[in-house]
Amino acid sequence: MIEFSNVGLRYGNGPEILRDLTFSVEPGSFHFLTGPSGSGKTSLLRLLLLSLKPSRGNVTMFGEDVGNLSQDRLLQMRRHIGIVFQEFRLLDHLTTFENVALPLRVLGQPESEYRPNVTELLEWVGLGERMNALPSLLSGGEKQRAAIARAVIARPKVLLADEPTGNVDPELSSRLVHLFAELNRTLGMTIILATHELPLLDKFNYPRMLLQKGELTIHD
Amino acid sequence: MIERVRSLIPRRKGAAPIVPEKSVAGRTLLLLITIMSFLSAVTLGGVVLVQKSAIAWSADTGREVTIQIRPVEGEVMESNIRTAVSLAQSTPGVASARALSLEESEDLLEPWLGTGLDLTAIEVPRLVVVQLADPVEADIEGLQRNLGAINGASLDTHAAWRQQLNTMAGTVVLSGVLVLLLIGAATVLAIVFATRGAMATNREIVDVLHYIGASNRFIAGEFQGRFLSIGLQGGLLGSVAALLFFSLIGTAAGNMLSSEAGAQLGVLFGRFSLGTGGIIGIAAVIPVIAALTAITSRVTVRRFLSETS
Repeated sequence: MIEFSNVGLRYGNGPEILRDLTFSVEPGSFHFLTGPSGSGKTSLLRLLLLSLKPSRGNVTMFGEDVGNLSQDRLLQMRRHIGIVFQEFRLLDHLTTFENVALPLRVLGQPESEYRPNVTELLEWVGLGERMNALPSLLSGGEKQRAAIARAVIARPKVLLADEPTGNVDPELSSRLVHLFAELNRTLGMTIILATHELPLLDKFNYPRMLLQKGELTIHD
Repeated sequence: MIERVRSLIPRRKGAAPIVPEKSVAGRTLLLLITIMSFLSAVTLGGVVLVQKSAIAWSADTGREVTIQIRPVEGEVMESNIRTAVSLAQSTPGVASARALSLEESEDLLEPWLGTGLDLTAIEVPRLVVVQLADPVEADIEGLQRNLGAINGASLDTHAAWRQQLNTMAGTVVLSGVLVLLLIGAATVLAIVFATRGAMATNREIVDVLHYIGASNRFIAGEFQGRFLSIGLQGGLLGSVAALLFFSLIGTAAGNMLSSEAGAQLGVLFGRFSLGTGGIIGIAAVIPVIAALTAITSRVTVRRFLSETS
């Protein structure tokens, strides 16, 4: 599903942030992406999200070399990728329901069509009672569950999460990772979850992609 | 005030707008577009008024020519007048010809010489007013040629007056069009700055939309929707204000001047009545301003997105 071959990344004329990344991610797999702060986790996620192009090497996603794709095709491929951020990035003026429904609005679906799906998903992530609340009224855990729901509502093939547990307490962190695991198990979604919380990794038996000084090693 | 008026305008039902209404510097931009629409509508209305008056005046003077018969020694004035009237009446395209009486001729001099003077000692030139049935078909040259037989007779077709009037009206119309173009350019620039400001303010929304797979076209459409709404509201408010302005000016002019002075002003400069054409022109400012706002914001957003993505 995802293949990196000798991929390097640098910003402008600066030093290489990522060096010689070669790995593949199978459909339906779950990986932790870990490493110290500044090791390049977010840059790697941006490459996976197709919002950056590698400085060298090849990236293949869903069977296509992303280096040769048109803007339109890149956009279509990005719609198969969901993203969850540490800082949630919910739109403050929209309710929980409207935030979660956003990807379907972007796809042009009418509200009458997506309302049952969004409602069902919000109930599944435990936000059935908070559908009409604005993000400012949600707790950190609720915001992150809303952000996860928004990332998966359009059923992406790959779900990326950038430090999704960074703003919640350890107990809630564990529950959130369980939620990701549930999505992986029930929907077969490929998940790459970036975190630097080592105690959290130890609770789950998933392969770890370890980034250190721009180089990647995978530990099964 | 503007917010109160805006609250009366029906809103779109359904999902909340992705670009929040308050984040698009809406109030300031709405005020600016309202002012621009008002200025456009007033300029347009002014141009319509001037053009209407010029056309009416030109048509009036074009339907009339005047034969002037100067007193010449050895000539009998009354006989010359009858000959002139007869020549005029026999000219093709002439509806009627009437000689002004001596009293009427003296009345014409009254504004310059004052009242109560005995003008019998002065030989006053006499006038024959010729009404044309069709100014195009009338044989003015033939009449002028025939009047050569009358000593002291000359024909005034008011051509010089009409030409001056047309030049003046044309200048006013051209100036109006230039002012409209300048207002349009200023509006476009204001919308460009407002759009870029709105994009910078809403950068987080743009980023989120990009991350969830929204195309530049979709994002531009969301911003365009907001600006179209502001453009429509501003255009409507400005045009209504301009119509009220013309209505008030018309009423005030009618009340402040005496009926006689008002009538004279009306003859010279026309009434402050826009007519159907003027009202339609001012109403057309609304969609034009709205379209200008929407198109400008769309182009600016697309350019901003292609620069930043």
